Amino acid sequence: MTQGTGIMMQQRAGRRTTWLLLLPVLVFLAVFFLVPLGQVLYFSVMDPTFTLHHYLAFFTDDFYWRVLFGTFRTTAIVTAFSLLLSYPLSYAIVRLGGGFATAMLLIVAMSFWTSFLVRTFAWMVILGNNGPLRAILATMGWTPPPELLFTRFSSTLAMVHLLVPFMVLALYSVMKKIDYTLVRAAISLGATPFEAFRRVFLPLSAPGIVNGCTLVFIMCLGFYVTPVLLGSPREQMIAGLIGTQIEEFLEFGEASATAVILLCVTMTVFAIYNRFVGLDKLWG
Amino acid sequence: MRIVIALALLSALFILGPLLIVVPMSFSTAKSFAFPPPDYWLGYYRAFFADIRWTQPVINSVLIALATMLLTMALVIPASFAMVRQRFLGRSAMNLLLMMPMIVPHIVMALGYYSYFGHLKIIHSPLGVVLAHTCLSVPVCYLIIAAALKGFDRNLERAAMNLGASPLRTFWEVTFPVLRPGFLVGGLFAFIHSFDEAVVAIFISGQAASTLPRKMFDSIRIEADPIVSVVSTLLFAAVLLAVLSPLLWRAISNTRRQVQSGTATA
Amino acid sequence: MNAFAGRMEGRQGVTGSYLEIRDLVKSYDGYQQAVRGISLAIAKGEFVSFLGPSGSGKTTTLMMVAGFEQPTAGRIVLGGREIAPVPPHKRNIGMVFQNYALFPHMTAAENVGFPLRMRKRPAAEITRRSREALAMVGLADFAGRQPRELSGGQQQRVALARALVFEPDVLLLDEPLGALDKNLREHMQVEIKRIHRELGITTIYVTHDQTEAMTMSDRIAVFSQGVVEQFAAPLDVYLRPATRFVGGFVGDSNFFEASGRTGMLEVAGLGTLSLPQAPVSASGRYDVLVRPEAIGLWRGSGDRAGHCVVPFTVTALVNYGDSVLLIGSSGDLSLRARIPFMLATDIREGTALSLSWRHADMHCIPA
Repeated sequence: MTQGTGIMMQQRAGRRTTWLLLLPVLVFLAVFFLVPLGQVLYFSVMDPTFTLHHYLAFFTDDFYWRVLFGTFRTTAIVTAFSLLLSYPLSYAIVRLGGGFATAMLLIVAMSFWTSFLVRTFAWMVILGNNGPLRAILATMGWTPPPELLFTRFSSTLAMVHLLVPFMVLALYSVMKKIDYTLVRAAISLGATPFEAFRRVFLPLSAPGIVNGCTLVFIMCLGFYVTPVLLGSPREQMIAGLIGTQIEEFLEFGEASATAVILLCVTMTVFAIYNRFVGLDKLWG
Repeated sequence: MRIVIALALLSALFILGPLLIVVPMSFSTAKSFAFPPPDYWLGYYRAFFADIRWTQPVINSVLIALATMLLTMALVIPASFAMVRQRFLGRSAMNLLLMMPMIVPHIVMALGYYSYFGHLKIIHSPLGVVLAHTCLSVPVCYLIIAAALKGFDRNLERAAMNLGASPLRTFWEVTFPVLRPGFLVGGLFAFIHSFDEAVVAIFISGQAASTLPRKMFDSIRIEADPIVSVVSTLLFAAVLLAVLSPLLWRAISNTRRQVQSGTATA
Repeated sequence: MNAFAGRMEGRQGVTGSYLEIRDLVKSYDGYQQAVRGISLAIAKGEFVSFLGPSGSGKTTTLMMVAGFEQPTAGRIVLGGREIAPVPPHKRNIGMVFQNYALFPHMTAAENVGFPLRMRKRPAAEITRRSREALAMVGLADFAGRQPRELSGGQQQRVALARALVFEPDVLLLDEPLGALDKNLREHMQVEIKRIHRELGITTIYVTHDQTEAMTMSDRIAVFSQGVVEQFAAPLDVYLRPATRFVGGFVGDSNFFEASGRTGMLEVAGLGTLSLPQAPVSASGRYDVLVRPEAIGLWRGSGDRAGHCVVPFTVTALVNYGDSVLLIGSSGDLSLRARIPFMLATDIREGTALSLSWRHADMHCIPA
């Protein structure tokens, strides 16, 4: 046996084992993931023969454009506020450490692991007609207090609350690896503490910001439960619209087309992220 | 820095506050979601445990999550070995496929399953929910188990073989026991992912296989049922217990060690 | 000598080659070779070091002996038996890994008992022999500890006991002391040598630390780029390096280029000298090695019989406490000389002086 064939035979045996190990999950995902996903694509262009009118209906109707635009706007707002709330918290956790960090991380973990439905329900109580927030507004002299529930405000607020833990964990995992002596070095070289933060710490924490924002943006874009329960029925987000199209109108074609559009938007965000950062890094 | 700490504490309050509000709500006598509660009682707890329309979804959710966990682990563990240890053509495509269910919005999958499982006649059945949840749990489970495998020191396997263990024995005596905690965490994530998953369950579980998240969703949306606050409190308590237990455990073992060293010196 | 050492003793005594590596080649991709035709014959009971920089093929060779890598070509013969086709778990070769590779889910005693359990020994025997092996490395009281409850040095000893308890034919050590601090390392070197003396087990010790190889081995195999440059006793490797690489890798060195054929060499910067040249270079070109510690100060004037004498200007001094390394130049030659501290107290940067060394301390390497 020559050298080359020996190596090739070893490699071939290794490849067989590899694919044997992968086969179950491959088959499973093909049958229960790719096929249903393919069906969505299929239904979006068949009615009952090939047609693009579901997409045309979507893009020629002002209503759908408003949903799409509104979804983007809400998502952007949620992402921005999540970042604004999370950055100081993560920074304080990393800088102070000790008992403070443990307590804060516990709070974040508690929220992270509590079901979306429980947290959505909590906001329902807080913002409800007989809830504490309206009562406080009334005592402050805002009478009658505004309707808070079933508005764009309520669903946006609740989604910020739901997604902040994801942002904090993304930021924290990057920040805790930053060598703080670099900031001290910058200060020793004449930077003010704020300059040192802005020119050294902030850029080094950028991967965390990018990860957190991508994660929150994607999750918010396709959010179903909270906007449906707390949001205004007149100002749906795109996932809620898909739900309505199925449940109320049994319009599978239109629902599929909407789903494909949502999918494309999501994939675009991921593709951009993958292009510049690499998908492997997103979940730390 | 003082401003930063103040902002941090405000954020923490924003994160924690809403979680706590469900607790007093569950003891409230009010028939709707009113806060502060007019009076306190345990009536809704009694109602929750007595009502099969609530207990059944809890049982369904636990069973579905267990089945999802087992199926997910059975699929992911072998695949992780191949993905982490082998270099082969199609590896990055395979990696993408394993992560895809995390990337696709759940509502899109819900729509897909709604028609596909209807076609397969497994809609509104626990089996359908388990299959769907397994798909959605694969990426989380894969991420965790692959990370555990990457951290595994392969010299341990070499050492075992060097000391006379056959490859199979090496796996059962060394590889598996060392990796078991990682596998369990992966399984736990799959369990929780299934237990908390709402969107796909709302569309495909139906009345017969209704999961707890679906039941909660319906109750909040349609009836404003105050029992929701009981369920929420119980779920929150479970999370609290799980999150705090490592801390408690550490405190207990610390005191025990102090007591032991105290007796040793005395 | 304890009971364990007593039992191992009967196994030594055969001379001649016991472990033989013949024309060993390893290639991972079929093109580049990590090991390029290595041949070594190791005697029974011998302590051999594989010395070389990282990537020189020493660990790959060790892995092939242990059976974790398949040779692309060549043979490995142990006690007259070809072992290349034998899977690692049937080779009966003990190995200590660089990071110890103790099983984290087993106690020290369970780790040591593992190879006996794999060999289906009765439980009582496993308990007794693992206790003996742990006693041999001085850890009798630590049997019930988990690996993470042991210090680095203790983990190292457990790994050693585990690799020896099943009375292997050969012991392999893969940079076993790399993770320990200096004092502990020296202590463990002594310990390993003691055990080797007691058990007389054929041992291969992989290291990139020349001092370690020098102090411990019967013979050293110096590896470079997939080949063995020299396989000889430590002193030979040091005084009579076979190649320029060995001369440069082991110890500090001065090299001079030289050429000539008939016992007279034209040495760059030093003139024509009569030096012993064995082996003879086919090209007629040589690298002449002089160790810095063979060079001394010369306070006299004029020539000195049997010596080279050169003028020298110091450009830098490195003080080692007991000795001083003088770095400087003599004309176009740059030279390093290591002299006792007491003789160098008046030397500064820029000092001009004379250096001399014996012709006999010059070693010719065919280039």
